[in-house]
Amino acid sequence: MPPALVIHSLQILRRIELGVTFTAFAVLAAVIFFDVVLREISGTGLVWAREIGVYANIVVTLVGIGLASDAGAHLRPRFADRWLPARWDPLLSRLGEILTAVFCLGFAFIAFEVVLETRNLDERSVVLRAAIWPIQSVLPIAFFLCALRHAAYARWPALAPVPNNETPT
Amino acid sequence: MTFIGLLALVLLLLALRQSLLVVLGCAAAYAYLIWGGGNLQYIIFDGWDALNREVLLSIPLFLLAGNIMAGGAIAQRLVRLMRAITGPIPGGLAIATVLSCGLFSAIVGSSIVTLLAVGSIMYPALQQAGYSRSFSLGIICAGGTLGIIIPPSIPLILYGVMTSTSIADLFIAGIGPALLLIGLFAGYSIAMNWQRRLPSWDWSELSAALRAGAWSLMLPVIILGGIYTGYFTATESAAVALAYAVFVEMAIHRELDWRGLFRITGDTTRLLGSLFPVLMMALSLNVFLAYQQVPTQIVESLSDWFEGPASFLIVTNILLLVIGMLMDIGSAILILAPILQPVAEALGIDPVHFGIMMTVNLEIGYLTPPMGLNLIVAMVTFKVDFKTVVRAVLPFIALMFVALVVVAAVPQLSLFLLN
Repeated sequence: MPPALVIHSLQILRRIELGVTFTAFAVLAAVIFFDVVLREISGTGLVWAREIGVYANIVVTLVGIGLASDAGAHLRPRFADRWLPARWDPLLSRLGEILTAVFCLGFAFIAFEVVLETRNLDERSVVLRAAIWPIQSVLPIAFFLCALRHAAYARWPALAPVPNNETPT
Repeated sequence: MTFIGLLALVLLLLALRQSLLVVLGCAAAYAYLIWGGGNLQYIIFDGWDALNREVLLSIPLFLLAGNIMAGGAIAQRLVRLMRAITGPIPGGLAIATVLSCGLFSAIVGSSIVTLLAVGSIMYPALQQAGYSRSFSLGIICAGGTLGIIIPPSIPLILYGVMTSTSIADLFIAGIGPALLLIGLFAGYSIAMNWQRRLPSWDWSELSAALRAGAWSLMLPVIILGGIYTGYFTATESAAVALAYAVFVEMAIHRELDWRGLFRITGDTTRLLGSLFPVLMMALSLNVFLAYQQVPTQIVESLSDWFEGPASFLIVTNILLLVIGMLMDIGSAILILAPILQPVAEALGIDPVHFGIMMTVNLEIGYLTPPMGLNLIVAMVTFKVDFKTVVRAVLPFIALMFVALVVVAAVPQLSLFLLN
């Protein structure tokens, strides 16, 4: 059985991620909608609406990686599932989680380097002229949290969700 | 040798049941390490650029609007309306199923949700009305696939993003093939149930059903009407559709509260968290391939193989039918669209027409074993064995195949509204 602290920590992480993505989703929908409404009323939309919308979407997407892991919702081609013997399933699941954790950790590190470079170059957004690195920081954070999650699934397989992936159509 | 290494890596990761995100990410890392000078930061830079695009905004907004509408009792309202309209037609209940699936998927944009929502109401109703189990299963599974081609279709948006094709044009071009498929399913339903006894029109029921379903029916009108008239872009129509969906479900139908909205937003975010990172990796890999001039080389070598567009379309369709059996439609479009579309364009095939044909082709994959998602969902939902569901969908696969041939051979079916 996984320790209560790990279970509790994952629950808190899920709640935080849900709260953040709900807020970002609300911002995304609001700015695009009011851009359209204002354009109809005054003839001029919000010039910064699309940029804010894109950044809000990036937050939703990247924080959503963790929520997709939490729900076992990552897209996975299944045609190769029977290539290896079924009796290896528990071992394969664990190995799969370790591989995913290593992958996410690696990408978290590379993304961290990218954020540092963006900060050093003082890259700014086109319309708002705001520094990009704070919003870009979501990249390494999202991958790092995802790595922690999959490491926990590898250590305590009972925590891993039942796979549930459907491509939205 | 290095290419065999890449292939071996991908196959190993698939055998180890890794997600598409990990498979594509590792493939991109391998490509950069072996052929790209070894700087892995480019994957993140290109991935960031992939996400930093306005064109993607329509996907989360359409998905959330669809999920909000699906959360209420919209399926019952649409089914009631369609039953009232088609009652006196031979095979009317089956036609009502097809039309409900078409309308429902135009609102929610999901094949599986359509199958579950409409199927759970219509499967018992069809059985009760004396339709065979096989026919009932087949029509529901086939009707469930309509969401893939009917706007707002996420696979069409993905194709547009990956190939820089206008999403609004793809939405409009999807209307003709969608109507063809609905017509084929409805025609087959009439032919199979010609002898059935028919009730007469019930005008009071029709009027009541129309009143109950009017608010829901307006959503596809807003989306398609806005885009077709040029009033909205795809992103703007998605934002308006979302605002409309929240208004209808919270203020009119009163079937959604804040707690429900929070839950539905979470579900939508999970979908996006599985889809967009894959898109990010696919586009990053795509940038690398373009930098290495791989698509140009593919176009040059494949253009020599094919004498004209006809032979290319035949080979591509066979390839896509096989891929559709093994892979979900989103993944297939993300990987194959940027490779195949330049070849198609070099052979004089319109990119919009090619996107529609590709989507209609991969739509068949929802009904073909071993990975047909609608087969698996129907098997679990209606508690029937896999063989029964496969047999039930065979006539509908044949109909969809006919539609695919027509869509591929007659570009005007897709392009007439654009012209």
